[in-house]
Amino acid sequence: MFDFHTLAQQLINGVATGGMYALIALGYTMVYGIIELINFAHGDVYTLGSFFSLTILALLPIAGVTSGPLLVLIAIAVIILAALLCGITGVLIERLAYRRLRNAPRLAPLITAIGVSLILENIMQLWKGTSPVPFPQFLPNTEHSIGGVIFNDNEVLVVTVSVACMLLLNYFVYRTKLGKAMRATAQDRDAAQLMGININSTIAWTFFIGSALAGVAGFISGIYYGTTFFLNGYQAGLKAFTAAVLGGIGNITGAMLGGFVIGIVEALTAQFLGNQWTEVVVFSILILILVFRPSGLLGQHLAEKV
Amino acid sequence: MQRSIRARLASCIAVASMFSIGLSGCTGSGGGGGPASGNVIKIGSDLPVSGADASDGIPTQNGVQLAVKVANEQHMIPGFTIQADSLDDAVNGVHNPPQGQKNVQALASDPAVLGIVGPFNSNVAQAEIPTSNALGIALVAPSTTNPTLTKGPEALELRRSNPNEITFFRVCATDDVQGPVGADYAAKMLHLKRAYVVDDNETYGKGIADQWAARFIADGGTVVAHQHLTPGQTDFHALLTDAGAANPDVVFYGGTSATGGDQLRKQMAGSPLASVTMFGGDGIRNDEFLKIAGSMANQVYATVASVNAAKLPAAQAFLKEYQDTYHVPVGSYSAAGYVAAMVIIKAAGEAVKANGGKMPSRADVLDQIRKAPKFDTIIGSFSFDASGDPTSKIISIYEAKSDVWDFLTQVKFGT
Repeated sequence: MFDFHTLAQQLINGVATGGMYALIALGYTMVYGIIELINFAHGDVYTLGSFFSLTILALLPIAGVTSGPLLVLIAIAVIILAALLCGITGVLIERLAYRRLRNAPRLAPLITAIGVSLILENIMQLWKGTSPVPFPQFLPNTEHSIGGVIFNDNEVLVVTVSVACMLLLNYFVYRTKLGKAMRATAQDRDAAQLMGININSTIAWTFFIGSALAGVAGFISGIYYGTTFFLNGYQAGLKAFTAAVLGGIGNITGAMLGGFVIGIVEALTAQFLGNQWTEVVVFSILILILVFRPSGLLGQHLAEKV
Repeated sequence: MQRSIRARLASCIAVASMFSIGLSGCTGSGGGGGPASGNVIKIGSDLPVSGADASDGIPTQNGVQLAVKVANEQHMIPGFTIQADSLDDAVNGVHNPPQGQKNVQALASDPAVLGIVGPFNSNVAQAEIPTSNALGIALVAPSTTNPTLTKGPEALELRRSNPNEITFFRVCATDDVQGPVGADYAAKMLHLKRAYVVDDNETYGKGIADQWAARFIADGGTVVAHQHLTPGQTDFHALLTDAGAANPDVVFYGGTSATGGDQLRKQMAGSPLASVTMFGGDGIRNDEFLKIAGSMANQVYATVASVNAAKLPAAQAFLKEYQDTYHVPVGSYSAAGYVAAMVIIKAAGEAVKANGGKMPSRADVLDQIRKAPKFDTIIGSFSFDASGDPTSKIISIYEAKSDVWDFLTQVKFGT
């Protein structure tokens, strides 16, 4: 049942979901790059982002607002606030849970990460309960059609925001002093310290940025799916982790690429193989990558890991 | 490198899943209250009363607890105080078969529990029936509609410990009736022609979707595709794009709100399916669906495998009592929960009488349920057939109108 319009629409779906996976995957990959920890609490920070957005939206007087520019402004304000709050959460997690374990055997911080994940999940469960929570659909969601391919405002928003974040991150990592410090710390922590880089603050900034990106993903997931749920981060986190591994864990460009690939694979699987096979296909990719190419698609540039 | 990532991932997933099952497990609460002094008979209940399933489970549990209250007021078992012991089988907000099985075991370990009302969901029943069968305790379900729970080779496998002992009964109709009634309504009353069928791949959801689809085809309709959701799915965009390309005039959803039905409907907004009818079974006829689907909770039809109590003169006292006690409208299966509890209470009463006023055994209670010629209840008179199904089956049909489910009609089968 091949037809061009459906394929194009599935690619849009895939890029939209993939953008969110990529934003989450960036956090995994940056943290892994710098302290070689797979931060399994990261998926829950993403959920936390949508919960923070809910709370912020509840505080804003959005009910009567219909003017387009004002709505965009509100959306940007919510994104920035949610990202800030998630960033702070990330820094707190690093400070309280991981910093002391930086020189411990690798299993210790990993188990701690699972513990932090459970703590966050339980906090969110107490906060909003065990049912899905409706997310206010305050942005207009009109349909557009270009050459018969239908897409809507939400999809435009999701793709624009995620791509913008990635461009910002790229600029930050490769063009700023702090970004250079991160890359240096990732390459060789001891040498970086000897060169006068403050390791603790560099790592804290890495957590801040990774978690802030997850916060942005949390907000756009609320808009895109219309609901949020305290356990959403578990599954999204696993898929983003798959994306990070697929791209080569520790590699920023790889995480973005991996996110989009996973999103598109999901959408095309739902279209051509049937919806029930999406997870089978995604996690088969994870297994195949781990077995045959553990360094990932772009893993050879390990020197650039952050 | 290769080893370590793999090993870490494996251990993480194992530990994480272990914890998530362990942590939010037992959240049972004893209803009915009072210390267990002397002659106490307990009616257990196992329903999903937290999370997305709560809007089904709590109204049903209210029915059970109301039955216990009424039975005590009317001294239906002379010499005994009746108490409700209510457990929750939802884990992380969704009905969970292993948790249900544990709850049945926990309830059965209390000798005062003479019977259990529950479960709500068919896949939970699949986990509980073998336990109830092995332990010889009555399990009376208000709402589990999958036909294979009581009939056919699957049912025989479920009661493998004592194949000839029926311990599982239900007071609702089954999906081999519910599905076809819904399909007939969609094809003949709503004149729908092209159905895109989705189910949640659970016992109930897949079962009712198959039954509905088969009848819809027999009625002259076309099933353009039949898709299955994955557990915990939250993103339906790709599925809906596929559905949109197939150009259906109805999307049938077999499953519950908790397994994704409400979010599926919500995400139809802004897609080519925004103005397409949705049809479902009793799994979506709840307040959770209305809450999540929001403005999309229109043009949605759902069947319920039980009678609409508001239409029955015999149920008016129950409805008033329910309103006075809980101050909320009844759910799809509140009356069924009440009736399921009453079945156990009446059987226990008979068993006490036969036992000379002393505490009867669970086997006596089971015997009374099986051999009762007729239960006169607020939803009509019925008895149980040889496999535990009620002799009377009624399907009611509802339509969602934004914030309320409007009753449309009902169809009766059997005696």
